[in-house]
Amino acid sequence: MKNTNENIKVLIADDEVEFSSTLQTRLNLRNFQATMVNSGEATLKAVEEEKPDVLLLDLKMPDLDGLEVLARLKDDHKDMKVIILTGHGSFEVGREGMELGAFDYIMKPVDLKVLIAKIEEAYSSI
Amino acid sequence: MKIADVILPKSLKSSIDLGLDRRSYGQFRLILFLIMIAITAIPATTIALLGYSNYKNLLQKDEQSQLKWQMDGSVGSIEQMVESLKSVVQFAARRDRYEELNTGNNLKVLFERLQGQYPSFADLGVVDQKGIQRAYYGPYNLEGTDYSGEDWFKEVLDRGLHISPVYRGYRFVPHFAIAVSNYDPTTQRAWVLRATIEAETLQQYVSTIKTEATDDLFLIDEEGVLQTNSDYFGRTLNRTELETEPGVRADVLMAGENPLVAVGNIKSTPWSLVIIKKGYINKNEWRSFRSELFFLFFTCMVISVVVIYTLVKLLTTLIRKADEIQIKMMQEAEHKDKLASIGRLASGVAHEINNPLAIINQKTGLIDDLIDMSADFEQKQMIVNSLKSIDNSVERCKAITHRLLGFARRTDVLFEHVSINETIKEVLLFLENAMMYNRIKLELKLQDDLPQIYSDRLQLQQIFLNILNNGIDAIGKDGTIVIISNLIAGDIRVVIQDDGGGIPEDLLPQIFEPFFTTKETGKGTGLGLSITYGLVKKLGGDITVRSNVGKGTAFSITLPVNEMES
Repeated sequence: MKNTNENIKVLIADDEVEFSSTLQTRLNLRNFQATMVNSGEATLKAVEEEKPDVLLLDLKMPDLDGLEVLARLKDDHKDMKVIILTGHGSFEVGREGMELGAFDYIMKPVDLKVLIAKIEEAYSSI
Repeated sequence: MKIADVILPKSLKSSIDLGLDRRSYGQFRLILFLIMIAITAIPATTIALLGYSNYKNLLQKDEQSQLKWQMDGSVGSIEQMVESLKSVVQFAARRDRYEELNTGNNLKVLFERLQGQYPSFADLGVVDQKGIQRAYYGPYNLEGTDYSGEDWFKEVLDRGLHISPVYRGYRFVPHFAIAVSNYDPTTQRAWVLRATIEAETLQQYVSTIKTEATDDLFLIDEEGVLQTNSDYFGRTLNRTELETEPGVRADVLMAGENPLVAVGNIKSTPWSLVIIKKGYINKNEWRSFRSELFFLFFTCMVISVVVIYTLVKLLTTLIRKADEIQIKMMQEAEHKDKLASIGRLASGVAHEINNPLAIINQKTGLIDDLIDMSADFEQKQMIVNSLKSIDNSVERCKAITHRLLGFARRTDVLFEHVSINETIKEVLLFLENAMMYNRIKLELKLQDDLPQIYSDRLQLQQIFLNILNNGIDAIGKDGTIVIISNLIAGDIRVVIQDDGGGIPEDLLPQIFEPFFTTKETGKGTGLGLSITYGLVKKLGGDITVRSNVGKGTAFSITLPVNEMES
């Protein structure tokens, strides 16, 4: 496993704990600094506290919609890259997310290699 | 329920009211035909009948007045002839001749002189006031006969003149008598001169006035007894049932004929003149009118029937076509509706499945990571293989759900000005190898000056890619794919046709439905055309398919030029 990822802070925002915890473990195994949250409010808070480099954002969470989270974070955290990672995607939603400043839009399930490549691409574009 | 709903037969109702029932075009045609025939035939028949009866009346009146005129003339002539006969007798019976005629052979001299003028004079007699015949000249010896009890004698004394009806005389020859009375100044007595005349005279009179125009002309007395011969009623002295009331009337005399009968009384005689004329029925004028009328009416009706039949047939065809179009449109709308709801359901299901798939995917990945880190153990390879197999299955599920959602992964979502022809050529770059390998020829008929459209290039590529892949699969090996692009009614139309196996007609309506596939299991997801359909709709266009089994299939995609530009 590579060591170049040590400095990349990744925040996983997803209400599917089984998914996010596993992804967190696997990213950490690959030397990312991965943390996770399970709701929209928690995401806003965690972003303030941890200042992640890359946010993996689910669109459908119980309290706040992913697009709403994105809209709130957009202006204050221009350095943070947001990758929308969701099973509830559609053409229109993806387009809206891109317009709100998301770096990219990926549909679940996604191969870890592809995801890591996208995270690295996002990080290097900061 | 409205009255119209009850009265109107099913076939005349609008197709909306008909619901699921099919219109009976035979009934529709029959009803329409009968109504139109009735509308034409009723006035035509009425006018024809009116014309028929009016003309008949007119001819009848004309004929009656002609007959009346003829009757008046004939009565006048007969009256004149009778008048002259009467004058002769009156002249012979001058008042002072009573004694003279009673003496010697003076009566004979008078008779012979009269017979010289009028050969039909049969005898002459002088009767005194008491009714005794004082002198007689004629074929019998009737001197001394007493007439005092006879009606004619009383009448002639009263009125001065008597003309008798025809009677059979002693010789069984029909006769009539003219008697005049006078007053003798010498004897201070009235006397009577009576002349008997053969009825043949009357027959001659009648014959002189009988013309071609009449069918029968004769005289009758007050009792209806014939005074001259008649063609219809026989010889003189036969009895008829005719009335002597003057006038013109239609009479039923013999079976099958309907002649006009004119009767006119002849002044100061017991006679009436009768003219019989066969009616208008036999006249040429009437016959030709009747056949002309019939011919005209018949021709009109035949023309009406032909025209109406043609019109009704035309109308029925038009309505049948309109109905078919309406039904087809309704079916299409229903089909589109169905596709849309299936699409919504499918994407909902895909969304729900993506999350558990992602968990499975991550868990197998984690297990894989953990095994990687651990030392070799007995079943390690088996576990790794199983994980691979789970991964493959997840991949397959993912392919399905991602296609259900219309696209796999999008980075740039952009509407831009796109050249359709360029987009088609870009797609063909991907497919060149596959087509060459399968020996599939390509024919491009792209219109050069097409306007650019405002659309999504990648989605257009996806659309063309799906349909072209379909065509390549349909052909297999050796064949031709034709791509045509042109501008139709302000929209851009792209037709992609292959000469593959074609799609049976009963399967055509289903080909845009998700999971419908004719490929063997595992080879196709059955989503390609469904996604293509969704994409075309999303871009504001339309896609239709025509296919002939054994000849090939043609997909026609219509795209708006200015859609979504605002």
